[in-house]
Amino acid sequence: MQVIRRVMAIAAAKLLICLSRLFGYHGTDFPGRVARKIDPDILKKLGANVQEEIFIITGTNGKTTTTNMIARILEEKGYSFVHNRAGANMVTGITTAFIKESNLLGNRPYEYALLETDEANVPLLLKELTPRVVLITNFFRDQLDRYGELDRIISLIKDAVRNTDIELVLNADDPLVVHFQNDTGLHCWYYGFDDTDYDLFQGEESREGRFCAFCGEELQYERFHYAQLGKFNCPRCGSRNPRRNFTGHDLRMTPQIHFFVNNIEIHSPYLGFYNAYNILAAVAVAKLVGIQDEIVQRAIASYQPRAGRMEQFLIGDKKAIQILVKNPTGLNQTLAALNTDPASKSLFFALNDNAADGRDVSWIWDAQIENIAHPSAAIKGITCSGLRSGDAALRFKYAGFNEGIITVESDLEAGIKACLDMEAEVYYFLCTYTTLFASRKILSRLARKTTRPRPKYNLAQPAAGGE
Amino acid sequence: MATFCIAHLYPDLMNLYGDRGNLICLQKRLQWYGHDCLVQPVNLSSEVDYSTFDMIFMGGGSDREQGLVYRDLLRRADQLWKQLDAGLPALFICGAYQLLGTHYESADGKQLKGLGFFNLCTRSEKERLIGNIVLACRINQQIITVVGFENHGGRTYLEDKSLEPFGMVLAGFGNNGEDGQEGVRYKNLIGTYLHGPLLPKNPAVADYFIHMMAARKGIEITGTLNDRLEDFAHQQIKRRILGS
Ligand SMILES: [Zn+2]
Repeated sequence: MQVIRRVMAIAAAKLLICLSRLFGYHGTDFPGRVARKIDPDILKKLGANVQEEIFIITGTNGKTTTTNMIARILEEKGYSFVHNRAGANMVTGITTAFIKESNLLGNRPYEYALLETDEANVPLLLKELTPRVVLITNFFRDQLDRYGELDRIISLIKDAVRNTDIELVLNADDPLVVHFQNDTGLHCWYYGFDDTDYDLFQGEESREGRFCAFCGEELQYERFHYAQLGKFNCPRCGSRNPRRNFTGHDLRMTPQIHFFVNNIEIHSPYLGFYNAYNILAAVAVAKLVGIQDEIVQRAIASYQPRAGRMEQFLIGDKKAIQILVKNPTGLNQTLAALNTDPASKSLFFALNDNAADGRDVSWIWDAQIENIAHPSAAIKGITCSGLRSGDAALRFKYAGFNEGIITVESDLEAGIKACLDMEAEVYYFLCTYTTLFASRKILSRLARKTTRPRPKYNLAQPAAGGE
Repeated sequence: MATFCIAHLYPDLMNLYGDRGNLICLQKRLQWYGHDCLVQPVNLSSEVDYSTFDMIFMGGGSDREQGLVYRDLLRRADQLWKQLDAGLPALFICGAYQLLGTHYESADGKQLKGLGFFNLCTRSEKERLIGNIVLACRINQQIITVVGFENHGGRTYLEDKSLEPFGMVLAGFGNNGEDGQEGVRYKNLIGTYLHGPLLPKNPAVADYFIHMMAARKGIEITGTLNDRLEDFAHQQIKRRILGS
């Protein structure tokens, strides 16, 4: 009976996955939900087919990029693994991911499972799966978390991992995670950055996690790497950053990321300090699995950004970069990356207020747009688009930009074209969730249209501007 | 050129939903009018003399933070009221607005005392009132629309019927979703549930505060600002909500 139920659950879900593909949906949650109705133990059963290890990756920011990078490394090594893609990080989506990689009998072995999930889902997932490692990238409080929601989730995760054999991989630079070791008694691996040339000595205007997790005293920071991530100590109880097992050092951003992890040299086409953290976390996990340095280096160097994660388009001879922004923290990260790029820029910001974006657009006032409103950021033009293009334009105006360089084009296509019409060396497209895919479609189309077949013989010709 | 000084009450505790954008707005507009503007943070247990400020601003916070702030404010409540009653311009948003009343009853039935400046009270319910909101307000003898975003569990009632609301609700919930009133208005004080933040998209309200501050200093604000983007943003959301 058990076997029949399992096979039925898998068959039904596989059929639904096929059907949803046929109709152009990215069948993610629904097939898993149906399978779980038929066989509530399906995830437990399929989870037992993982021969090596299950990894769970969670945290407020960076979990998708980190998980994708680890996936790229496992792929490079040639391992087979289950991986739930972004957007399918609930228990149902994870069930779908397992079924996709399974055979009908539900007994095909996988070497690894790489599961990205929201913080609040970790306790649910641990009821059905037994991971070796839980990686927590960071905890950021954004405006929606000010009612103590984050503190509640942190203690739920702690309760769920206590009395297990799980090993935690934690960010040594985040004061909101360092007390996990003390509170859970689990073995913890720490990653973090040595001093870098990009550190600040004064924090941004925000109060995220600035208080000691042990005694509540306000922490003293020697330096900030990024937001509340940095080198800190507590003047009252003396707690400080834990000792690192994986140290990022000699960071350079040109703006592409170059640095070392325990003397392993890493290059990545990604930009921004927060992505350096994502890479560092991915390398830490790869080294825990025992993957060779060369494979890690090759995988990270070849890992290209995906939709909304600094994906690049070449439109004629213009370099366009698209970035998803969805909260003040993410927007601040993006602005920090823009600041490390010395090229002259034309900026596009599409702001929608659909449910998936958040109905309340006031979060743009919690981001430090002021940080890019100075001449060395080299911003030549700003085009605001989307349903709330007006709110976006006001935010830039009041951040200190001259109104003369701000254009409002609520229509996405018109906005994208207006942005590309500006004179600049690089074009940044910042999009909230529901403007992301529509904008991407337009950018892809423009990129295709302007890419002429390459001449077979390349005669030496002067670069652009010779007309 | 004059220098204006605005007190930002409890910036670490009371700053939800981009409310500090109101201060950015006042500061910039004063600069564009040719003046200087300092924003002075006032934190828990810092000693202040409210008579030294041109305006008071306080944003919203969670229940816990509101309790801390209440106890601190109470120490100087008389002094603060004296200034407000004398016409000190002031903007109190959401949680700060609720504190001005006699009491606040949280969703789990706990009673928190308010400063009691006005005979209004707030009862909190589980279901929050969330969404875009449009008001009709009287500013400088003119009826204008004011747009914003509200997100509050509290239902506020102006018990004293002679109290003037900040505006009447054209779309949205307002004080309690029942009587069509939004906020409170007294002399140059506005208490309101509107986040968004309020002032950038409602430049007439921002300029109302600026003119009141200037008048109390005996200064005249001259010239007008180019509000093309402000008006566009205002109309964009107003059209979406009212559908015209
Ligand atoms: Zn401490």
